[in-house]
Amino acid sequence: MLDLRARRAFIEDNERLPAMHILKSRPWNLPESSVTPEALVFGRRKALVLGAGMLAAGPAMAQQAGLPPAMRNTRYAPGRAITAEREVTTYNNFYEFGSHKTISAAAQRMPQRPWIVKVEGMVESPREYDIDDLLRRMPLEERVYRLRCVEAWAMVVPWTGFPLSALLAEVKPLSSARYVVFQTATLPSVMPGLRQSWYPWPYTEGCTIAEAGNELSFMVVGAYGKLLPPQNGGPLRFHQPWKYGFKAGKSLVTIRLTDQRPSTFWEKLQPQEYGFWANVNPAVHHPRWSQAQERMLGTGETVPTLLFNGYGDFVADLYANLQGERLWA
Amino acid sequence: MRLIGLALLALAAGLFFMFGSDPLGALLFRLDSGLLSLVQAGVQRYLLPMLWDDGLLPVLEAPAWIVPLLLGAALTLFAWMRARG
Repeated sequence: MLDLRARRAFIEDNERLPAMHILKSRPWNLPESSVTPEALVFGRRKALVLGAGMLAAGPAMAQQAGLPPAMRNTRYAPGRAITAEREVTTYNNFYEFGSHKTISAAAQRMPQRPWIVKVEGMVESPREYDIDDLLRRMPLEERVYRLRCVEAWAMVVPWTGFPLSALLAEVKPLSSARYVVFQTATLPSVMPGLRQSWYPWPYTEGCTIAEAGNELSFMVVGAYGKLLPPQNGGPLRFHQPWKYGFKAGKSLVTIRLTDQRPSTFWEKLQPQEYGFWANVNPAVHHPRWSQAQERMLGTGETVPTLLFNGYGDFVADLYANLQGERLWA
Repeated sequence: MRLIGLALLALAAGLFFMFGSDPLGALLFRLDSGLLSLVQAGVQRYLLPMLWDDGLLPVLEAPAWIVPLLLGAALTLFAWMRARG
């Protein structure tokens, strides 16, 4: 019943659009010739099955065991082919499990249920959410976002989740709150990286309250229509697609609103390489490599990196009066 | 060799009195906060992930004075045995 209502609302929303459409080219739009053949991404048979399913279902739906249904929000079309699920779930950065990319097997040891997320600090109504309760309460949708890693590789992922602003609306930030801080779980029994007791665990990331309120700021609970796997930051991670990937806190247990700018994990380790803002900019190089291009996971294709990862239309205004800040690295 | 061994033993004693049981990793992190993450990335990405977890990490978790103590003792003993012919 809920599915039908959501679908009807989606159709009605689209019917309200004006009859005449003005096609505006987004900065990330690529010529058709640059799009990876779908068969290469999904495999020929899988692509056929998926295509048939999409024809039958109309708007894309993310419906698999454990993850409530979620409509795809087409406002954020990525302009690139979706990266194969296998690539995204087997090539991961998750420092608590190691510095290499093959942590996915080790991450399976991280229990995903029960999972409690605290939202606290400068809010009117601090809350503790059971993750499944959160999944039921929040307005889930699917968004296909580009992700640009600071290490100059990139991928395109259909995430399922909800806008951070929806969560903040529940807890009601105080007017004095200026930053949102995200903290990852610390589970020493399954995270070998925590043996390095000299590091400033828990992994902490953050953004300003204005960035948090931007429509692109997304709390992720699923990918490819399934619950978010632990190696990708399950059961709950954060994602701001115009920033480098390390800004996305994974396996979150605490979200805190504060008036103090947080000192983030990588900022404490290598401040000359990883700053607080970390917005994507192809013209500002990492001290040890260029950021002008990125390698697409799966295809290995190299493509130019775009300012704000191509999302400048949505976020450039956030930084209009911050010229004195180190916005790009 | 004997002199190097004795110098390492003196270093071990100094580290013990200055830092007690602080791990070697913590000491290196204080000296250069980015050093170990770079070494870890090099070892785990280009050599073998287990080499870090099972080889280097136990050394870094040990008190800072352990490594110079063991090296110093070994060199001093070796030099003494060579001197005895």
